[in-house]
Amino acid sequence: MRGVGFIHVVCLAVVILFLLAPGKALSDDNCLLCHGKHDFHRLEPTGLKISLFVDTSLLKKSVHASRGCVDCHVDVVQIPHKPAVTVNCRRCHYSGNPVGAPQGELYDQYAQSAHGKALSQGNGKAPTCQDCHGTHNVIAPDSLGSSMYKTSRPKTCGKCHIDIYATYRESVHGHALINGILDAPDCSDCHGEHSIKGASDPQSQVSPEQVSHTCGSCHGPMGVVAKYGIKTDRITTFEESFHGIAHKMENRTVANCSSCHDFHDIRKPNDPKSTVHPANIVKTCGKPGCHPEATAQFSSGKIHVDPSKEEAGLVYYITKFFTILTVTTLAGLFVFIILDLVRRAKSSQGKR
Amino acid sequence: MTDSLTPKQEARQELIESVTKNILDSAQPLIDPDTKPEELKATANQITERLSFEANVAFSEVVTRYARRKRIEVEKLVAERTYLRFGKNFRAQHMLMIVSVIMLIITGMPLKFPDYGISKFVILDMFGGVQNSTLIHRIAAVGLIIVGIWHLGYITLSRVGRRDFWLMIPRPTDGKHAFHTIMYYIGRRAAGPKFGRFSFIEKFDYWAVYWGMVIMIGSGLILWFKEGFSKGLFDIAREAHSDEGLLATLAIIIWHFYNVHLNPDVFPMSWVWLKGTLTESEMKHHHPLEYAEIVDAERQELQRSAEEEEQKAAG
Repeated sequence: MRGVGFIHVVCLAVVILFLLAPGKALSDDNCLLCHGKHDFHRLEPTGLKISLFVDTSLLKKSVHASRGCVDCHVDVVQIPHKPAVTVNCRRCHYSGNPVGAPQGELYDQYAQSAHGKALSQGNGKAPTCQDCHGTHNVIAPDSLGSSMYKTSRPKTCGKCHIDIYATYRESVHGHALINGILDAPDCSDCHGEHSIKGASDPQSQVSPEQVSHTCGSCHGPMGVVAKYGIKTDRITTFEESFHGIAHKMENRTVANCSSCHDFHDIRKPNDPKSTVHPANIVKTCGKPGCHPEATAQFSSGKIHVDPSKEEAGLVYYITKFFTILTVTTLAGLFVFIILDLVRRAKSSQGKR
Repeated sequence: MTDSLTPKQEARQELIESVTKNILDSAQPLIDPDTKPEELKATANQITERLSFEANVAFSEVVTRYARRKRIEVEKLVAERTYLRFGKNFRAQHMLMIVSVIMLIITGMPLKFPDYGISKFVILDMFGGVQNSTLIHRIAAVGLIIVGIWHLGYITLSRVGRRDFWLMIPRPTDGKHAFHTIMYYIGRRAAGPKFGRFSFIEKFDYWAVYWGMVIMIGSGLILWFKEGFSKGLFDIAREAHSDEGLLATLAIIIWHFYNVHLNPDVFPMSWVWLKGTLTESEMKHHHPLEYAEIVDAERQELQRSAEEEEQKAAG
């Protein structure tokens, strides 16, 4: 055995292991040999330590508890392995998959979304499934602790949209959600989920074309806000206003909900920071391109007025007055015409 | 009597003979030499008679046609006398009002009823959006304001305008006339009331326009220059503008169009808004008192001028 040292034995063992590997799936234990160690990491060229530790307890609590490492990390077939590529969730989550993974058109929606398009255009920062749903800790969105649970969503989106998250937290919607009012909208209630689009895309739920419908799902008739003593006539009064009518006539320069109430920074009208607070309303009405000549007088008074309700004051009585005037005048004129025609018919019969 | 013929009959006889001779001469080569001269003469006479008959028929037709054409021309010349009702100035006011009001209705109504397909068609397809339709609405509004100012000038500065305005002022007789008309309509009276220059119906139409102009122009200006007013006043103006706009539109379509278009007396249209005149029979029928006044005044005028002539002759 001269010339065959320990090193040769190890080499042979590794080679055999390599040869056998494709035929024999790696078990989780194989992986955890390294990834189960708390201080297991790799070094970035910048000197940054990236932890490669996998907390299996998280995986065991997740919806993927019954899955093994290589069920998802399919590119890892041997040890040691090359840097693993991002897991493709679609391997299981496709329509008619045999393992029973939930699936709708979500992938297609994502591909058409602002995020999906950014990714396909080569934006490395665009979020993939894992960025929102988590990696080893994927939990059903309706269970507490999921990054996609209603109260966690703003924070999850805020990982990238940090400024917006900061604004939202201070808004009336953010306050309500933080205080546990689950009827309050999180990001996706307004923006959509997998189908999320840029606000300038006409198909976006928050585009000028759609935003009044989106707000109306809560603030419109039958809206959930009635539970909290908030008026549900906001959309109908908007639609009856000149702004709403011009909007129906496909004019997009006209004010919509968020033109006056802002979008992320929506606050109660009595909040001094609100865009519709009496102290700020002149500035809001007077936005360039809207009513730059707006005065305090012009901006004062109720905006969402329903002339058919008595609380509209004088407007209500004017509506009533004109209804009566129109009906009586036209009825009178109509009767006059009918009587005239009847008389003519009679006298022409008499002549015959 | 047979020997003494009139010159016309003589001429006719001569013509017949010369025609007969001509026929015989030109037919000579074709005639069988054995034919008796009497037979020939008789045949030639028959041909001449026939020709003369045809010529008479053709001539009388030409004459009839000529006479008919002449009669129409003459009828036109001696047509019914007309009476001026609306002068050029007034007709021009009405014309500008028609154009303004139609444009205002077309650009205004779709915004009152924005959910109807036709409204979207008018605003989007005809005008290309509210930014254009509202501009046209304002231009037409300026037209309407001009009519208003023009008319106020007309009823104060022009002699005819002042006279007509005076006659337009409602009087107790108008109430009586209205009652009388209804009684007539329901068969309690044998005939309707006799109207002067302006009937109670015309007075109603005229003053309804004042009401409409005040409301529409007043509220419209508030809406136009909204930045100078409060939101509360804006809401009031908007409601009034919208409601009165509908009332005015319906009144025009139902009432005014009945009176000037659909009413069997004038169907399909009364031409007075273009011609400005009424015929004698229309005057007698619709404005008998005014007609009587005119006739009376003319008679007095004639009498006066006749007396003057006499005085001149005597002097």
